[in-house]
Amino acid sequence: MRPPLTLASTSLAFLVFLCPLLLRAEISAPGFESANKLYEEGKYTEAATAYATLLQTGQTSAALYFNLGNAFFKSGQIGRAIAAYRLASQITPRDPDVRANLQFARNQAQGPTLPPNRWQRWLGRLTLNEWTVLAAVAVWLWLLLLTVRQWRPGLRASLRGYVPTLAIAAGLLCACAAAAFYETRLTRTAIVITSDAVVRHGPLAESQTAFTAHDGAELRVLDQKDEWLEVSAGPRRMGWLRRDQVLLPQ
Amino acid sequence: MRRLLSRIKLNVRGPSRRGLRPAFALLAVLLGFTPSILGAASFTATLDRETVTVGETATLSLKFEGGEPRQMPGLPAIANLQITSEGSSRNISILNGQVSSTVSQNLSLTPTQPGDFIIPALRAEIDGQVLTTQPLRLKAVKASASAGSGSGEQLAFFKVFVPKKEVYVGEVFAVEFQVYIREGVANAENILQNFDAYGGCPLKAEGVSVLKTAHAQRRRTRAGNAIYNVATLVTSLSPVKTGTLTIGSMDVNLTLQLPVGTRRRDIFDPFGMFQQVEERRVTLTAGPETLAALPLPKENIPTNFIGAVGSFSMTLSAGPTNVATGDPITVKIQISGRGAFDSLALPEQNAWRDFKTYPPTTKVDTTDPLGLQGTKTFEQVVVPQSADIKALPPVSFSFFDPDRQRYCTLTQPGVPLVVRPGGSAPAPTVVTASRAAQDLPPPTQDIVHIKPRLGALAQIGPPLVQRSWFLALQAVPVLAWLSALAWRKRTEMLANNPRLRRQRQVAHIIRKGLIELRQFAAENKSDDFFATLVRLLQEQLGERLDLPASAITEAVIEEHLRPRGVPETTLAPLRDLFQTCNLVRYAPMKSSQELAAVITRFEGVLRELQGLKL
Repeated sequence: MRPPLTLASTSLAFLVFLCPLLLRAEISAPGFESANKLYEEGKYTEAATAYATLLQTGQTSAALYFNLGNAFFKSGQIGRAIAAYRLASQITPRDPDVRANLQFARNQAQGPTLPPNRWQRWLGRLTLNEWTVLAAVAVWLWLLLLTVRQWRPGLRASLRGYVPTLAIAAGLLCACAAAAFYETRLTRTAIVITSDAVVRHGPLAESQTAFTAHDGAELRVLDQKDEWLEVSAGPRRMGWLRRDQVLLPQ
Repeated sequence: MRRLLSRIKLNVRGPSRRGLRPAFALLAVLLGFTPSILGAASFTATLDRETVTVGETATLSLKFEGGEPRQMPGLPAIANLQITSEGSSRNISILNGQVSSTVSQNLSLTPTQPGDFIIPALRAEIDGQVLTTQPLRLKAVKASASAGSGSGEQLAFFKVFVPKKEVYVGEVFAVEFQVYIREGVANAENILQNFDAYGGCPLKAEGVSVLKTAHAQRRRTRAGNAIYNVATLVTSLSPVKTGTLTIGSMDVNLTLQLPVGTRRRDIFDPFGMFQQVEERRVTLTAGPETLAALPLPKENIPTNFIGAVGSFSMTLSAGPTNVATGDPITVKIQISGRGAFDSLALPEQNAWRDFKTYPPTTKVDTTDPLGLQGTKTFEQVVVPQSADIKALPPVSFSFFDPDRQRYCTLTQPGVPLVVRPGGSAPAPTVVTASRAAQDLPPPTQDIVHIKPRLGALAQIGPPLVQRSWFLALQAVPVLAWLSALAWRKRTEMLANNPRLRRQRQVAHIIRKGLIELRQFAAENKSDDFFATLVRLLQEQLGERLDLPASAITEAVIEEHLRPRGVPETTLAPLRDLFQTCNLVRYAPMKSSQELAAVITRFEGVLRELQGLKL
């Protein structure tokens, strides 16, 4: 009877001592609360600095990025706010508050920007990881059926309809996952963080002005040359701007 | 190349469209796998101008987007209005992966008598969907009323034409600014083009806001004894104060070039390229027109009226309708009609107090050059806060209709909802930073407040597809399938090759038999040893000669092996082994060393037999 008692006592010790420690690690964040206090007092710039300091210490959470976005937004830095909301949405993609504030900040951005097209909006309904898991599950099921067909040839007739259906589903889901990977990992987006970022026809300060992007504009990065980025805000709006005028979120 | 391919545009005029129909059909088939990208169909009818003089022509454009009508709608005969078709055009464009197709039909409308002409609502069926346009109004005035007051002696003059004499504050109406240049002025074309390229209209008016100017319409007309080239700039205006408003034009300085000399053809300048002209500077201004700006009635003002003036209709959709508390519902409200869409706003819906609301996004789609007709779409996210909610409350929108001179209220019925209790924490409330600010902005005009708790710590790591463990995990089903495939192939191969199957069985028997032999030798069991040895010899020889093992005796050496060319170096040890087995019946071996030596000889014979190609 000793071993079960030992196991039970060990489990009890874990529950009594270890879980409170873990909980404390989650909720004990004095720096976060003091940053929130700065925000409540209307000291938005100081609050943003405090949130950013917390991020540098390795405390990363969706709420932290969300509050950082709010502090940036309230201090008039729409581009940095959008970048912070995008990071928060990577952690909690279904949070309605994050989505609402991101949309609100995007609506405040003036001038040319690159809105997602209908296909990109549809693809964005699921995250890259969700598309990946869906595609992997479909591929696993398909290969499982193929394995069963080899193992039990007698089931071949009854599985006849499922195998091609799953193959098509797996192919489509893999294509969606690949498209999501392209959109999120291989396509670079630049977020303008200065009030007026002059986009020029060439990567030179003397080049003629193509158009002016404003704080919060999201532009697609096409190329890079030294300290200049070639960006696009649509098929007819392309040009070069300095790299220090934008953020390049991962 | 990528940029080039991202923008493909096809534009085909009516007369040549039949030849290209197969190409369009092929394109439609190629694009058929993305039906959702093509979007919903729409059908709009627009007039390029609302007022014409008798004898002038206005153009009615019927535009079908997102599909082709089964049958082109016809315009019924209208008294004193000549209707002629100007042909149709088709436009398919692929822009950034979004495909749109447009079919346009243009009709020329020429009134023969002054009056108001109503273009009735037209119906067309596109992909099984019946679409209807809004009725349009065309006003025709007498030629003398709008064709200028000159007797033909003026080289150029302006005229402002205001179709209405009474408008309401906030109502949007169109004003025509007409530039007349007498035929024969050498630079008339340049002057008229410059007015079109100006992008605005040189109107002078106080108490009105100038909204938008459409591109100039060009025509020729007679005034007095002369023919004039006319450019008509149509501008939308909206009064911002009540009282008498005066609309005129600014003073515009023009330099007119008049040909001088004889009209006889010069042999050195047959085309008149070097014709001498005389420049004459003129300052033109249009006589002011007055109209009365009326205030909106103060009686029967709807409670949710916030200043919309025009004629509108409203549609409402919401989804999803089966949600948990805290889940967002997207409410889509479309207001269509005629009015100032840029300033059109949705009134605050007090009945949505049980929902958390977010700022709506708006989109305006206009169908005429002045942007007066079209649709404004509001998309608003609302979040039910309670599982007791059974429906989205009705949505109301009020406006003042200047034509009917009364307030109208559009109400869309509520949308039934199924709201389940949610397991998540209640959504944070929308509040502002300071108490003073709490009174000012409505909840939907600000961002959602900060989160009070840090929440679970999380790192933004690389996606699953870039993690090695995930990629390695994907090899598991592949390996399982390959293993099953290999096992299946091996099983089938053995089933179809009995000789190979026997070869494998005999090899297995030999392996086990050698172990037994060594065991019998160690235990000095001579009888068992030689019985096993003979059995193993029979199994091996039977497999090599494809004979039953029971049929193998020493005689097979001479009967089967020697005729097949087996060398004597192989046959001699085999024969010795058989003879040893026979002799031991009469003179049994007693020592383990002797038995072990026999095993060595047996292994040598086995190697020789297994190497034979029989």
